Amino acid sequence: ISQKYIMSRYDRAITVFSPDGHLFQVEYAQEAVKKGSTAVGIRGGNCAVLAVEKKAAAKLQDDRTVRKMALLDNHVAMAFAGLTADARILINRARVECKSHRLTVEDPVTLEYIARFVAGIKQKYTQSTGRRPFGLSTLLVGFNVDGTPHLYCTDPSGAYNEWLANAVGKNDKTVREFLEKMYTPESVADEVGAIKLALRAILEVVQSGAKNVDLGVMRCRDGVPEWEILPAERLSALMAEIEAEREAEAEKKRARKE
Amino acid sequence: MLADWTQQEVLTGTTIMAVEYNGGVVIGADSRTSSGTYVTNRTQDKLTPLTEYIYCCRSGSAADTQAIADHVRYYLDFSRISQGREPTVRYAAHVMQSILYNNRDNLSAAVIVAGWDEVNGGQVYCIPLGGLLVRQPMAAGGSGSTYIWGHLDAQFKPGMTDTECQEFVAKSVSLAIKRDGSSGGVCRLAVINRSGVQRRIIMHEDLPKSYDG
Repeated sequence: ISQKYIMSRYDRAITVFSPDGHLFQVEYAQEAVKKGSTAVGIRGGNCAVLAVEKKAAAKLQDDRTVRKMALLDNHVAMAFAGLTADARILINRARVECKSHRLTVEDPVTLEYIARFVAGIKQKYTQSTGRRPFGLSTLLVGFNVDGTPHLYCTDPSGAYNEWLANAVGKNDKTVREFLEKMYTPESVADEVGAIKLALRAILEVVQSGAKNVDLGVMRCRDGVPEWEILPAERLSALMAEIEAEREAEAEKKRARKE
Repeated sequence: MLADWTQQEVLTGTTIMAVEYNGGVVIGADSRTSSGTYVTNRTQDKLTPLTEYIYCCRSGSAADTQAIADHVRYYLDFSRISQGREPTVRYAAHVMQSILYNNRDNLSAAVIVAGWDEVNGGQVYCIPLGGLLVRQPMAAGGSGSTYIWGHLDAQFKPGMTDTECQEFVAKSVSLAIKRDGSSGGVCRLAVINRSGVQRRIIMHEDLPKSYDG
């Protein structure tokens, strides 16, 4: 059976400018992102942290298979908000690019390079016939070869920027405002500080509990990058600490009022 | 008037070996790279890592085997990240085979892939010229191996400990170096098991002695 490929069917671009200069498909994709579960990224002094909201799994679903954070290379990890299926494609392309870069130039990618690469793919899909933009924003964390941690964010338009701390997905504005208030280089100078800030930030919009949050840390041990997804017990312990600290702060406030 | 060796391909006329033991593998090689009669490198490392737990022993064209090992390492690195666990030795050997077989007309490369994985422990896979893949408890390759097959057949016994394997490999490589003009230099050894890789080098003067005739 031969199928005649009719070029004209795929001639029309889906992403075209509106009269007032908008790319509506891109903006609609950004709306899709806003519906996705929240992800937070923090660049610490000596580490980089990602925290994601874990959607409650259906009873019969094996929740180990629902991973919203992906390791792209030994030294780069990614969290996203938006369409999981779209993310799978980008994750795969990014992983291949990371390893291919190592083969050709014998160096690991810098965070800027891989952010630019992912953003580049996304941009292409805003300018191609018959394709729609990717419905996700990503948070990329990791270490460059020089040992410095970085956090980058990409969005469906193909824009990318470096951030000290950011959030994507549902209620990202609330989380970002919290981070703008609370982030100081001193508070995230060590790993525990960065992790706690990430947890505090995501707990602004997610119910407390180790089963609702996944947290990953990219750290550098003796020059070797290491990615750890914190086990549930550690998360619970940290959340309990944060609760206790919140209580203490509330107490102090009450005491000052009186 | 250019010297003869500048016109000839750089070969690892070689002796390479790998032996399985319960819990890992021992691999060994000589260190001579020659270009005709000129020894271009007398301290060559023919034991090349493909992953943290899997090595390959290279023989044939140095350029071919280096490029192929780089590609295999790339595929295995990718597999490590996307599967979330170490690749098996079998998988590494098959990746290697697929490159060697599909490009057999343009390559001159014979390798031994050996390493350790969780599933099947220590394994040795031999991939000679042409791209045949076969798992063996003990494999040897390179020009030097032809001189020691009798010795290998007589002395190899299954169930050796890793120390016995190391002595066996060192002795065999040493004998091959003696008789094969394209093998020489030092003997490089590596032991691969659950704890990773430990590498050793036996200097030429410390190689096991044999009848000097």
